[in-house]
Amino acid sequence: MSDRIDALARRVVNDPHFLASVLWVYARSEGVDDEDLAGMLGCPVSTLAPLALCRRPRPEPPFFQQDVERIAQHFGIRPETLAEIVRRADALAALQRGAEGDRGFLMAARDATEEVNHEENRT
Amino acid sequence: MSERSGALSRSEELDLYARLIEGDPTAPSDLAVTYLDRLTEWLIRHNPGVDPHDCATAAEDAILALIKNPRSYKSERQTLEVYLRISALGDLRNRLRSEQRYRERRVPLDVVELSPDARKYLWDVVGDPALIVEKLEDVDLATIRANLQVALTEEENRVLELMTQGERRTEAYAAVLGITHRPVSEQRRVVKRVKDRIKKRLERAGGWSE
Repeated sequence: MSDRIDALARRVVNDPHFLASVLWVYARSEGVDDEDLAGMLGCPVSTLAPLALCRRPRPEPPFFQQDVERIAQHFGIRPETLAEIVRRADALAALQRGAEGDRGFLMAARDATEEVNHEENRT
Repeated sequence: MSERSGALSRSEELDLYARLIEGDPTAPSDLAVTYLDRLTEWLIRHNPGVDPHDCATAAEDAILALIKNPRSYKSERQTLEVYLRISALGDLRNRLRSEQRYRERRVPLDVVELSPDARKYLWDVVGDPALIVEKLEDVDLATIRANLQVALTEEENRVLELMTQGERRTEAYAAVLGITHRPVSEQRRVVKRVKDRIKKRLERAGGWSE
């Protein structure tokens, strides 16, 4: 696969439209490299970039399974592994969103407390 | 998946486009694999004075834009490849304009010469039937500038913009040249001199027609 396809796949790792975002989150969280990931999926490393440029599977049933199977068939990879990777990445993203939400809530609560204390000190 | 080295047939192209519209998750990948290299090489070939990295980015932008908004392409108007070329040229033009704006070096137009590459580029663009535009200056004004191997002064750039827009009023040119305080007869002389200078350069490059 061309270097330009590799570059484009890297460019979209933060774009949730693309499967690249899922593969990147999974690889980072599990500490796996391209060779590990390709081995798990049952494909050569050169398949990862075009795979990453697929649209991310829609989360709703039955579309999720349909999309995963379509991608797996197109690239000759293991559908169950791809499904697991997407679910794991989604779960991690949800956890991260939750953590950020908690942090935001705690910061808001702390700000409110500081504001009350400030008002009490003035009176 | 298998790599494709050549352009798709019309029916293959329409099939790929239909898959994009229908939401086939593999269609964006096939689109990029089919067209990214070809589009980038085409841009580099037709813009010899432009940084190949800018050409590559413009090609990526055009492909990503189509993936995100496939209905922007009207299959009855042109082939998918021509659409991508026009879209990428537009992206490249905007990129060059932006860079031009921030370029530090300002060299007056009359102290520089055209390069042979610029002539080749201009000839290639005019001669390419894939472009569905008729006037060269409408195709890629910023690229023409880049290929003139000059950094126009801000005033000269604006005069060139007005010329390509078909502006004929002396006062419009006088305003961009900052000479509206001078007598009208002098404004006309200065405007004519600047326009003639720019036209002469473009004529020599084969890129200007009244």
